[in-house]
Amino acid sequence: MFDNPSFVLKGILDTEIQQKPVPEIGANEILVEVKKTGICGTDVHFLVHGSVGDFIVEKPMVLDHESAGVVSKVGPGVTNVKVGDRVAMEPAATCRKCEACKEGRYQASICPDIICAATPPTDGTLTRYYRLPSDLAYPLPPSLSLEDGALMEPLSVAVHAVSKLGALRSNQSVAVFGCGPVGLLCMAVAKALGASRVIAVDIIPDRLEFAKTYAATDTFLPPSIDKGEPGVAFSTRNAQAMKEKLGIVEHGPRAIDLVLDASGAEVAIQTGIRIAKSGGTFVQVGIGNRDITIDMFAVLCKELVLKGSLRYGPGDYSLAIALVASGKVDVKFLISHRFPFTQASEAFEITRNGKSPDGKGVIKVMISGPDVDINEV
Amino acid sequence: MSDNPSFVLKGILDVEIQQKSIPEIDPNEVLVEVKKTGICGSDVHFLVHGRIGDFVVEKPMVLGHEAAGVVSKVGSRVTNVKVGDRVAMEPGATCRKCEACKEGRYQLCPDVIFAATPPTDGTLARYYRLPSDLAYPLLPNLSLEDGAMMEPLSVAVHAVSNLGALRSNQSVAVFGCGPVGLLCMAVAKALGASRVIAVDIVPSRLEFAKAYAATDIFLPPPMEKDESRVEFSMRNAQAMKEKLGIADRGPQAIDLVLDASGAEVSIQTGIRIVKSGGTYVQVGMGNPNVNIDMFVVISKELVLKGSFRYGPGDYPLAIALAASGKVDVKPLVSHRFPFTQAREAFETTRNGKSPDGKGVIKAIISGPDVDINEA
Repeated sequence: MFDNPSFVLKGILDTEIQQKPVPEIGANEILVEVKKTGICGTDVHFLVHGSVGDFIVEKPMVLDHESAGVVSKVGPGVTNVKVGDRVAMEPAATCRKCEACKEGRYQASICPDIICAATPPTDGTLTRYYRLPSDLAYPLPPSLSLEDGALMEPLSVAVHAVSKLGALRSNQSVAVFGCGPVGLLCMAVAKALGASRVIAVDIIPDRLEFAKTYAATDTFLPPSIDKGEPGVAFSTRNAQAMKEKLGIVEHGPRAIDLVLDASGAEVAIQTGIRIAKSGGTFVQVGIGNRDITIDMFAVLCKELVLKGSLRYGPGDYSLAIALVASGKVDVKFLISHRFPFTQASEAFEITRNGKSPDGKGVIKVMISGPDVDINEV
Repeated sequence: MSDNPSFVLKGILDVEIQQKSIPEIDPNEVLVEVKKTGICGSDVHFLVHGRIGDFVVEKPMVLGHEAAGVVSKVGSRVTNVKVGDRVAMEPGATCRKCEACKEGRYQLCPDVIFAATPPTDGTLARYYRLPSDLAYPLLPNLSLEDGAMMEPLSVAVHAVSNLGALRSNQSVAVFGCGPVGLLCMAVAKALGASRVIAVDIVPSRLEFAKAYAATDIFLPPPMEKDESRVEFSMRNAQAMKEKLGIADRGPQAIDLVLDASGAEVSIQTGIRIVKSGGTYVQVGMGNPNVNIDMFVVISKELVLKGSFRYGPGDYPLAIALAASGKVDVKPLVSHRFPFTQAREAFETTRNGKSPDGKGVIKAIISGPDVDINEA
């Protein structure tokens, strides 16, 4: 194919499929024919608000970044993949030369010259062809479908949060706030790495039920917030209820070693800080409101380590793929909806609504590439 | 001496010197005749509010925990010190048996017995009983006042060296130029920091920091009428970056930020000026509920650590830094009081300055019958 239809965000709530030039590739790069792309909450946020935090969409941009495809062309010097290989795509090209890259922290937070798909101003992967440094294309083992491949991106986010930053060890206990795709994948990684307890928290009972069938050992549905109750008071009450119901303490074998927030909600963060053990780790992966009030006294007296987690870094994609290939993590379960490329706009609508017109709740929506059948795996 | 006069907190703002029984010691403990005790902000807070967070003063309690003295009696199994030794006193006896103690983080022991944290009596008495391994002999070039300063210096060592993991040539910013902030700067300098930036809203404290251990100082602009704290902090951080040539990455970035003020705007500013991928250590205690920009924490993958007291190795490093001359704690002793004027010592500390106008950094109270000039 010589054309390159692309799903472009022109402005707030304004999208269009447009032709864009097929990218030229250089040495050590490959051209991938994108087959499957999952929708991420940040893409929806760009669509609806035109920005995520300090990332602002200033000119039209192709959306999305969770993809897998087939290698269409390889540049000089490429040895790890060949034309026709099915690959998962790590959509963030870094400079290799700065201090961050050289000291093993190439992730988005730190390399100043990172080029991330669908982070303004860089075009994303909802297109026919995407250009990528060859080392960021990971061959998919035969047991993984292209849809599995597209899910390697959010799974790598979970691996980064749980395994890399959370440093979860076998038999430790984990609590995850937020049962969206990232939260669910965090639970799956925790389970795969041998967590003794994986506690899921969400305010929507259906999502908790799903988490229980997927990877959680325990679930907790917070009580409702009382009319006029300040957030801090609610969180204190919520944490107390959670500790009582689940037999959680601050020291010893019933303490929670690692807490992750994948919701971005202030009361979840506040509660999470309260239920983490003395000396525990809290990883913030969900992006919500910027200004969050936390109990610094609890952080101080418990010597908590609070870490921000952004995307993924060295080794995360490889571990994600290995966990799925070995059967330790099942990502297929999370695909709730599938759309052809021509219905990308509807796909975003449904993700935004949280459910399709038939009432089915959204977990992960998959959009196929141009001319790719939604059932082609 | 067969008596044990003790400075007791009876209730809010209600103190009295009372006789208390001399503690009995067990085979692994020592009895120390306390010679010098420094006043900490937490002691003042208990005096004024009767509580700190969940630690509530429910019955009368002896104050003070930053102390040094002379060993008066040793238990039968004690080998590391002998009667007559001058020692710095680490005032937190832990259980040794719980997970936290065994894995090397005894500061988190849930059963810690800590001087002047309710319900445990503190060191403002003639005698204090201590496990012998928490009594550190003072080298000849360290005075008893230096010995008392080892407690806050250990807090600084714990924050900068242990949790901050500061390495030579890294750059540090410290918010708050009280004794702990100043000591954090001194530790950073001693460990080879390339840059030690001090921040405070009181110009004279900044001047002192510059003379003491800081390479750079920054005085935040005044807050504007109707400006929210978040807006102020953004403006403050921007001003700080411009004035001091601070970047988010590379050699002009700040590797480690410590807050020793507990003030929300300092914490908010600190999070903005620390480098991408940097470490932020919270050692100052202020209002518990602090509003922070979580997007910055996420997008810069910050590591934010709470720092509580001190743990294994912190006291020995503090003493070594002081004994080798790398850290000088003497300039921080601003006021001295005899035991009989302990109440006035607390008044002065609470006021932030003595009647003659001299600003308080650290006020030291001598033990019963100890001359204030006895070093």
